Amino acid sequence: EDAERISSADVAVVEHRRRLLEEWHAWRAAMDEELAEERADLGLVADPVAELLKAKQAEIAPDGAEEQVIE
Amino acid sequence: MRPILLSGHERALTQIKYNREGDLLFSVSKDQIICVWFAHNGERLGTYRGHQGAIWTIDVDPTSTILASGSADNTIRLWDIKTGKCLKTWDFPTAVKRVEFNEDGTKLLGVTEKRMGHLGTIVVLDVKIDVEAEQDDEKVMTIVCEESKATVAGWSYLSKYIIAGHEDGSVSQYDGKTGDLIYNISIHELNNQLTDLQWSQDRTYFITASKDKTAKLVSAKDLEVMKTYPSDTPLNSATITPKKDFVILGGGQAAMDVTTTSARQGKFEARFYHKIFEDEIGRVRGHFGPLNTVAADPTGKSYASGGEDGYVRIHHFDKGYYDFMYEVERERQNKLSAA
Repeated sequence: EDAERISSADVAVVEHRRRLLEEWHAWRAAMDEELAEERADLGLVADPVAELLKAKQAEIAPDGAEEQVIE
Repeated sequence: MRPILLSGHERALTQIKYNREGDLLFSVSKDQIICVWFAHNGERLGTYRGHQGAIWTIDVDPTSTILASGSADNTIRLWDIKTGKCLKTWDFPTAVKRVEFNEDGTKLLGVTEKRMGHLGTIVVLDVKIDVEAEQDDEKVMTIVCEESKATVAGWSYLSKYIIAGHEDGSVSQYDGKTGDLIYNISIHELNNQLTDLQWSQDRTYFITASKDKTAKLVSAKDLEVMKTYPSDTPLNSATITPKKDFVILGGGQAAMDVTTTSARQGKFEARFYHKIFEDEIGRVRGHFGPLNTVAADPTGKSYASGGEDGYVRIHHFDKGYYDFMYEVERERQNKLSAA
């Protein structure tokens, strides 16, 4: 009986977590979509930083050479 | 998770920040010096000298070209990351407690302190990510915080909103273009100030830390509190980890507030919580005083903490960290990979 009670409590916890996880990912998906739409409506590029980095790279190495990586 | 101990500051750390690539870590302290370190081995690359007071805050532009800092010497300064040269100084009537670049690095906000005769403000400056460029002197916007001063602030996705955290425990959402106040909501206990506000990678949500011993995950769009992380100590900082759904909180009672020795035990730890389930999942000790600032490497490889003890500690995550998963997470992952 005790084992049953514990396992049903466990089931409840797992169910709860499963719901939290689903809710979170549903919100993320909705937000991702909304953000992409807003960005497109504003005529902005999908990834502004990628553009900036490309520009910076071109400035540092106009001949397309790789930037020196310091390790 | 063996830490790398960075000793270079002589006084308490106030803020640390990784660059976007996660290879550099910038730190500021009450010792008036900005340091930059290699994140992978903790070697100090250099310092940026010029501030005449405690430095409260720092931020790096998304291309790791320029650095902004705010100080008790009432200035915001802009630095050339590579050469260490100070490119620009903006003067204010009071100390600058927070600076942050927007997502494309074209705007910089600064939070100025409230003092006799001066209300706290949030100022916005136009910035050019170019070490050769002449930077504009004039502020493009000033938001005056008449109700309760702002302690922290940042830019949301698309620079659509400026979100501020206040001394009274509330959070405000301002229009990013006009500075008009849209919402102000109390999310932490009254008069328990917000000590930190850090963004998710896409800046659609953020985490707050407060003296009320909790951190909260809040949606930028509607200021809805989605998650709460309760702890047993006043919090100074909170950050969201990429790659894994965790958050890291840092805090601890300041020495002068500690009344019994027992209260000191075990409080100077970085606390890991599961971002979605809100459970505490682990602690990392090491500092000899409160953690004033925590930061997560944007590439997910490490996290760092800066303490009242003057040390920065970088922790690189090991396999166990990446493997750790709740049963329901594994179940979801399996379902997704099967689909």
